[in-house]
Amino acid sequence: MDWLFFAEVTLAGLGSGALLALTALAFVLIYKATRVINLAVGEILMLGGYLFFAFSAGFGLPVWAAIPLAIAGGGVVGALVERALIRPMLGETPISVFMVTVGLGSVLMGAVELVWNTDPRALPDFMGATPVFIGEAYVSRKIAIGFGVAGVVITLFLLLFRFWRGGVALRATASDQAAAYSCGINVPGVFSLAWIVACATAAGAGILVGAIGGISPTMGVFGLSALVVVIIGGLDSVLGALVGGLLIGLVEAWAGTFLGGEFKLVTTFSLLIAGLMIRPYGLFGTVEIERL
Amino acid sequence: MRIATAKETYVADEGLLTTNTQRAWMIILALVLVLAPFVLNAYWLYLACLVAINVASATGLNILTGYTGLVSLGQAAFMAVGAYAVAFLDGHLGTPFLLNIFAAGLVAAAVGVLVGVPSLRVKGLYLAIATIAASFILHFVFTHWVSVTGGMSGVNVAPARLFGIELASPFALYFVIVPITAVMVLGAANLFRTRIGRAFIAIRDRDISAEVLGIPLLQYKLMSFALSSFYAGVAGGMWAYFFRVVTPESFPFATSIFFLAAVIVGGLGTILGPILGAAFMTLVPELLKYVVEWLGPVFPNAGAALSPVRTIVFGALIVFFLVFEPQGLAEIVRRIRRFFHLWPFKT
Amino acid sequence: MTDLNRRHILGLAATAGLASTFLSTLSAFADEKELVIGGSIPLTGVFAFAGVAIEAGISDFVKIANEAGGVAGRKLRLAYEDTAYKVDQSVAVFNKLTTQNDIHLYYGDSTGFAKTINEELNRRGSILMAGASFGSELNNPEKYPFQFMAGPDYVEMIAILLEYIAKQQKGAKIVFVNSDTEFGRDPIEASVKRAKEMGLDVVGQIVTPPTAVDVSTEILKLRRANPDFTIFHGYVLAPLPEFLSQAKQLGLKSRFMGTFWSMDNSLWANVGAPADGYMGVMPYRYYYDTAPDAPILEKIRKLRPTYQATGYMQGFLTAMLMTEAAKRTLEAGKALDAKNLKASLNTIKDFDTGGIIGVPISIPGNSVPVGRIYSYSAAEKQMKPASDWISLKK
Repeated sequence: MDWLFFAEVTLAGLGSGALLALTALAFVLIYKATRVINLAVGEILMLGGYLFFAFSAGFGLPVWAAIPLAIAGGGVVGALVERALIRPMLGETPISVFMVTVGLGSVLMGAVELVWNTDPRALPDFMGATPVFIGEAYVSRKIAIGFGVAGVVITLFLLLFRFWRGGVALRATASDQAAAYSCGINVPGVFSLAWIVACATAAGAGILVGAIGGISPTMGVFGLSALVVVIIGGLDSVLGALVGGLLIGLVEAWAGTFLGGEFKLVTTFSLLIAGLMIRPYGLFGTVEIERL
Repeated sequence: MRIATAKETYVADEGLLTTNTQRAWMIILALVLVLAPFVLNAYWLYLACLVAINVASATGLNILTGYTGLVSLGQAAFMAVGAYAVAFLDGHLGTPFLLNIFAAGLVAAAVGVLVGVPSLRVKGLYLAIATIAASFILHFVFTHWVSVTGGMSGVNVAPARLFGIELASPFALYFVIVPITAVMVLGAANLFRTRIGRAFIAIRDRDISAEVLGIPLLQYKLMSFALSSFYAGVAGGMWAYFFRVVTPESFPFATSIFFLAAVIVGGLGTILGPILGAAFMTLVPELLKYVVEWLGPVFPNAGAALSPVRTIVFGALIVFFLVFEPQGLAEIVRRIRRFFHLWPFKT
Repeated sequence: MTDLNRRHILGLAATAGLASTFLSTLSAFADEKELVIGGSIPLTGVFAFAGVAIEAGISDFVKIANEAGGVAGRKLRLAYEDTAYKVDQSVAVFNKLTTQNDIHLYYGDSTGFAKTINEELNRRGSILMAGASFGSELNNPEKYPFQFMAGPDYVEMIAILLEYIAKQQKGAKIVFVNSDTEFGRDPIEASVKRAKEMGLDVVGQIVTPPTAVDVSTEILKLRRANPDFTIFHGYVLAPLPEFLSQAKQLGLKSRFMGTFWSMDNSLWANVGAPADGYMGVMPYRYYYDTAPDAPILEKIRKLRPTYQATGYMQGFLTAMLMTEAAKRTLEAGKALDAKNLKASLNTIKDFDTGGIIGVPISIPGNSVPVGRIYSYSAAEKQMKPASDWISLKK
């Protein structure tokens, strides 16, 4: 066994796992606040990539301006969607709301195709090209940067949930909407906030994913892998997203290397089914007790 | 105006068609279906067959999702199982056409039961995602079980033969596909007049209560999965004879979303719903083509926008119906009927 | 009740009447003196970048041919519709166009469509088909008698690459990278075998899942295998740029090669520096080629002043070969059915394509096994020829 190779594969797995965790965060935030699984996260991620492309390559803005603009664009989309589509669906079955987001994903994808057509594109390079070595082990620079960004963002969110008023309000809303409301928490405001922050996060993840793999209207499928992460980690747990993301990243990397690329998806999905059978609410998810 | 509909027996009251108007409409529908192939050209017949296949599959999904309340995003994968079953039986054993279609349903039902096993432990969206996982695993099986599925390049299917007649054109297949679909829809309609169907509805409305009432949950949930996949399998079998080639990419994940969307747009938990929904969702993209053609002189670039516009319309229809007409097309039909029932009293 | 029935029957009759008038206007058959090329063309969807170019190529050929007096006294016409690269829509378009027009030549958009519709072609026996697919399965005159492709099939494309490699470096180490799709898997098995027969050393095979974004684990494998040549198949663009740039970061010595659909000039122009030195097999000349023996490219540049993608040449040549087959059939006074058309197509020998392909071509079977290696120069932002034309011998 080549241990250096194994270490490199593991590092690559952790790196791409961090990207998954970042995207999974978008699912978790929205689910925590509004009990909605937003399948359009993948498409918002794609939109983030395209917005960055438009601002940097289209309008010729420098990267430091294009990145915040693209992230803000994602947030604006989140705010609009929440207010126009999700709020009216309050109280409907989770499946209906889920399907609304599926429809939304389709609309976003069509809109992007309409504006930028379907050609695959490469994002302008802003991460540099010198390789990173940890000891002797090679790590792709983009993956290393992605890992760093994801790590910082997730830590930030964990801290915000612990110490910031808004974060605490979100947790209160998640555990009991009525109680939170009677304590004076602006629950609808929390809904909006969660959607804005989550969609902005997804858009940011889109820039990273796009920088690594290029952008195309079909890159939203990345959201599906992130969905697996949150199901394994637990839909309402930020920590679950992190652990689940790294786990899936590792498993995919190992499966891809030692079994072959065609086994990547099947391994993760088998893991998903096994995980669901053992822990139906994920590793860190809250178990819902059903009463009559 | 609806008069003289009082019934003397419970049996009559539970009948599928309770009024003469309904019977008349049914006769007309049957006549139209029989005469259609002699009027339509190959293109519209092709679409008619496609609609019929989709109706069969959507009706199956409706049993599971609309009546039992278990959301599945694996319908396309079950169809693929049926299609491969037909391809295998036809190619390796040479068994007759109708038997193959039936066997395709059974094989798909068996796979459906397997996929349904997690449904006792996981519910709602978690279950929907488990079915997504199952469909990706099935896709892997299709690409790697080469001796049966032909791997990535798939299998060709010889034209169906019935009583020595080769059924190759949409015209010929129409006379097989549409009756099979009609029988299946009729079967679904009758299912919900039986104990099993009512048990499904009880599970949908509150599964724990249903269990308390003495409905064995696992058994009935699995039965619902089996029935739903049986429908998908038969639809997939017809699909295989219709397109005569089955590859792993014939039934992408998007098709599963299409069927769920069709059932929602049509109306969950109604017999009419999936029929209207599948027809509507299949025909809208084709009709959009005519709109684009018609707009051609005004917007010369309209053609290039067709596919994105289709994608947008597909999504927008789902959103629109869920937000503004959650009961779907079936509810619109019901409203129209009610108008005539109450006419001229309510104006 | 009787009243109801009568009214409904009347209504039904009216509907039927309406429908039949509607359909009769639809199926107004075209003028006898026409030769119609039907097309299921992906103007939108994932393959749109090629479909748009293909449509431009075919319609330009039609224009040029009609200006030169048509084909055996008939005017050419292209009747096509968008398919969004979906098989069921392609079939729908086929059914629609063939009921509206008298079609003997057809352009199809994918391997899946070709496989689906060929049964129907065999049954009808009136249409010769070609298309955007170079699937090696279709290159089988017994199984697909009325199908051809205006270029080498995928196995032959890689064979051309291998021939080039064998000439460059004896016993070179090769890695195949393909996507886990029908398109990607098509030539791999046959090509690995062929490479071994040619004395080349296949040191690795890498399969990427179709949704792959990050390729760093694949890069690690590639680094361990350390090949002299890496052959990609089953991609259009992504994730090739990431492969190339990471390989450069790591200082891998490997050269990277691809097949026809990943050879478009404008796609690589956007990638920039990492694309430098990327090579691949191309059955046609590029738009900007000013070789003296390519008068038709001069004409194309006059018709279209800006760069046309590789799909343009593919569509143009496909239409040219189709009409050549029709011309030979008509001139021989034979009926325009699939058998005669295919037989005429197979009589094409040492045919001058006007310079789209740099050597005279023959079509003994279903394919045109000719190609040339091009290499991308980032400095000039162009694919440059890296070899002479290579014709495969059977």
